[in-house]
Amino acid sequence: MAKPDEFKPDPPSENPKTEADDTDDENGDGGYEEEVEDTEEDELDEEEEDEPEPEPRVRTPQSAVRMQRAKLEGLFQRLQTQSVPLRVHDVLIKGNTKTKDYLIESEAALLKNCTTMQEILEVSRAVNFRLQALEVFDSVKITLDSGPPELPGTSNVIVEVQEAKSPLSGEIGAYTKAEARSSTVEGTLKFKNIFGHGDLWDGSFAYGWDHISELSAGVHFPRFRGSSFPLDVRAFLLSQDWLQFSSFKERSMGLSVALLSSRNHDLVYNLGWRTLTDPSQLASRSVRRQLGHSLLSSLKYTFKVDRRNSTLRPVRGYAFAATSQIAGLAPDSRCSRFLRQEVDLRYAIPLGILNSALNFGISGGIVFPWGAGFKNMPSPLPDRFFLGGNSSPISSLGGPTTVWGYRTRGLGPTESRRQLKSNDGDTEDAADPGVDFLGGDLAVTAFADLSLDFPLKWFRDRGIHGHIFASAGNLERLTQNAYKDFSLQKFVSSFRTSVGAGIVVPIQPFRLEVNYYYMMKKFEHDRGKPRFGVTFSM
Amino acid sequence: MEESRDGDWTLVARKPYFGLPTACPVCLPVYIYLKFARCPFNLEINSAYPDSDQIPYVEGGTYVAYNNEKGGVIQQLKQDGVVDLDSEFSSLPEWVSMKAMMSSWLADAITYELWLGSGENSAKQIYYSDLPWVIGKVLFVKQVYDVKQRFNISKQNAEKKEEESERMAVIVSTIASANTMSKNKLFHPCRPTSLDADLVGHVLFTLKALPEDSVIRAALLEHGNLVRYAERHKNDFLTSGQSSASASNFQPPPSAAQARLMESLSGSKPKRKPKREKTEEEKSFQRKAKYFIGAQLVAVLLFLSLLGSSSKADLDEDDED
Repeated sequence: MAKPDEFKPDPPSENPKTEADDTDDENGDGGYEEEVEDTEEDELDEEEEDEPEPEPRVRTPQSAVRMQRAKLEGLFQRLQTQSVPLRVHDVLIKGNTKTKDYLIESEAALLKNCTTMQEILEVSRAVNFRLQALEVFDSVKITLDSGPPELPGTSNVIVEVQEAKSPLSGEIGAYTKAEARSSTVEGTLKFKNIFGHGDLWDGSFAYGWDHISELSAGVHFPRFRGSSFPLDVRAFLLSQDWLQFSSFKERSMGLSVALLSSRNHDLVYNLGWRTLTDPSQLASRSVRRQLGHSLLSSLKYTFKVDRRNSTLRPVRGYAFAATSQIAGLAPDSRCSRFLRQEVDLRYAIPLGILNSALNFGISGGIVFPWGAGFKNMPSPLPDRFFLGGNSSPISSLGGPTTVWGYRTRGLGPTESRRQLKSNDGDTEDAADPGVDFLGGDLAVTAFADLSLDFPLKWFRDRGIHGHIFASAGNLERLTQNAYKDFSLQKFVSSFRTSVGAGIVVPIQPFRLEVNYYYMMKKFEHDRGKPRFGVTFSM
Repeated sequence: MEESRDGDWTLVARKPYFGLPTACPVCLPVYIYLKFARCPFNLEINSAYPDSDQIPYVEGGTYVAYNNEKGGVIQQLKQDGVVDLDSEFSSLPEWVSMKAMMSSWLADAITYELWLGSGENSAKQIYYSDLPWVIGKVLFVKQVYDVKQRFNISKQNAEKKEEESERMAVIVSTIASANTMSKNKLFHPCRPTSLDADLVGHVLFTLKALPEDSVIRAALLEHGNLVRYAERHKNDFLTSGQSSASASNFQPPPSAAQARLMESLSGSKPKRKPKREKTEEEKSFQRKAKYFIGAQLVAVLLFLSLLGSSSKADLDEDDED
């Protein structure tokens, strides 16, 4: 992407437009050159008209330059010491052959509310950034010009854009989308601004850490039908392989629409056809009951606020996230129906020594079906909570997912898989088929982490630090009348716990941990044992 | 029968419809077979997976007999020693030929009629009525395509294939009708076999699920004894009190029953009943059956040779074109 040509200085001989110059920012005031105030000149001219005209002086080029410089210095002083009242009369757009005017005007709308020159310069910088963020322009230049003579104290803002020469671009990156369940590494091909609405069309392939692969195509409108919020529509084909852990494969295809996307709020609608299969034919009874096709029509709302200084190594601050999902929003009663709620809370307290900090976190989630006969129905298998995996709970705010040290889907309710006969027909000698991890309808995880710098400067310069941690988590079934047997005391007493220590290497945007884990408390089928391990999260 | 107690056996099948406990032509013979075996089992319905070839399946504890393994559920139950009604007959040539005709010609004819003939609405009711409309529609179209691929049907040979299918159904009906003329059971006078289960299942499905304009149904109705035979067995197993066949009666198997099942499956060779002397009546029956089956085999061979010659004539015409 071309670096924005924000503001260029006028050569002294040119007149009268003024432009902000980023490169000459000697005074640290944003680097803008003076504006030749025609309004002041007009006032001076008016005053001069009342006075008898002096004898005309001969101006040499050098004296003209000196006068110009003096005026500029005077303006700089005024900008630093006092507000220079100035209003925006009009925003003029140039350079857009394909892009619709309304798109640029709506991004630059804030300029019309400015009342001082300082404010205009500040907002111009923000507008420039937002126009660049649309990814449809190679360069954006914002110029201040004098307003109409009959309206003193006004200026015109000229927004000059250079549309992208090539509509095609490619990217590889790491993302966390609202409609995805986890972070992914993704390769994307983009077509820009085909219809002039700032639209971005893309096709992408993503691979996530939890055995997920996704092929999708989508379109992004920065402002849909004049609204101030963007609109994202994606068609996806998603595949997850859980054969090793729960004897099923999931395939989903459908549509995802991000209705609201801002810093703190996300609202996404998903419509998908989901199919669960068991090609191994070893699934346990509970999994066999869930195989087949279902229609998922759901609305998912996420509220997130993250006031930590960093997600890779939080030292101070807090973060909170809550996600609510309701599925079954379709006139057809034969679609999947459930309610799902997740809550995350993180808190970091600086300790003041060796840049150390204490991080606490707790996450919880619950899922329950709704509709006629909901008490006897199981929750959908793919929407249950599963604990375990190779991600760190410090960085992520995606509900209860991780207990340090336990492998992917490594704890919780299990059920024996299908028993096959051995070749000689004797079942007792047949290999143990293992168990399926069924997940839970209620999940809670918690952790505490103490991070501190190493004494060596080499490590400190690279952000490599150590940490000691403890974590706990548990899963429980509530559906199919299992909630009647639920006991808080039993739930708390059956928490799995682990402790450990390790080294953290922040590699933007990832957090790499090399840890040693020790299980304090585990149960029969839990997949966790004292070991070294690596976690990777973003 | 090798079984676990407390009714832990479960048959997972398609939904009931048309007055049948399960309206799927593949699931119904399995259901009837278990009824014939006086095996207590629970019936559970799966309406979410109409395109699965694993259904129907029988499970008990960690044991599962899928439809797409070892020749089908009934065959697998026999091989694993769970339940075997055919132990004395499965090696007889006449048995083998009747079984082959039932499982191939008659079953194929019904499949053809259900998916490509007049049974389209019945298929939608049985397999897709519990799925969201869009999913059901797409799966139905896919299934019709798969059936066409399986029977190698194209626009050119569609009519011929249809006639062939009807002819096969008529032949099997005639043979079956002759064998049930004077007896309650198809092959053995004293107890039912899997052959009876197949025939009763297919006949009941044809009569109840296929529409009135179905050619196979019309051909079957011409053999009143077959209809009476099937209805008699249907009344028998519907009024039988030994099985608890309630839909959606899901109960996880208790661990004690699971242990008993494992014990029952280990070293599970079926115990052979001691041979007893055959009565005069049984000897006469077997002699007549052999003559009759021999005559039917000759008729089948004649039919195949005629069919082959007509296909060859068509090929010659195509070559000339």
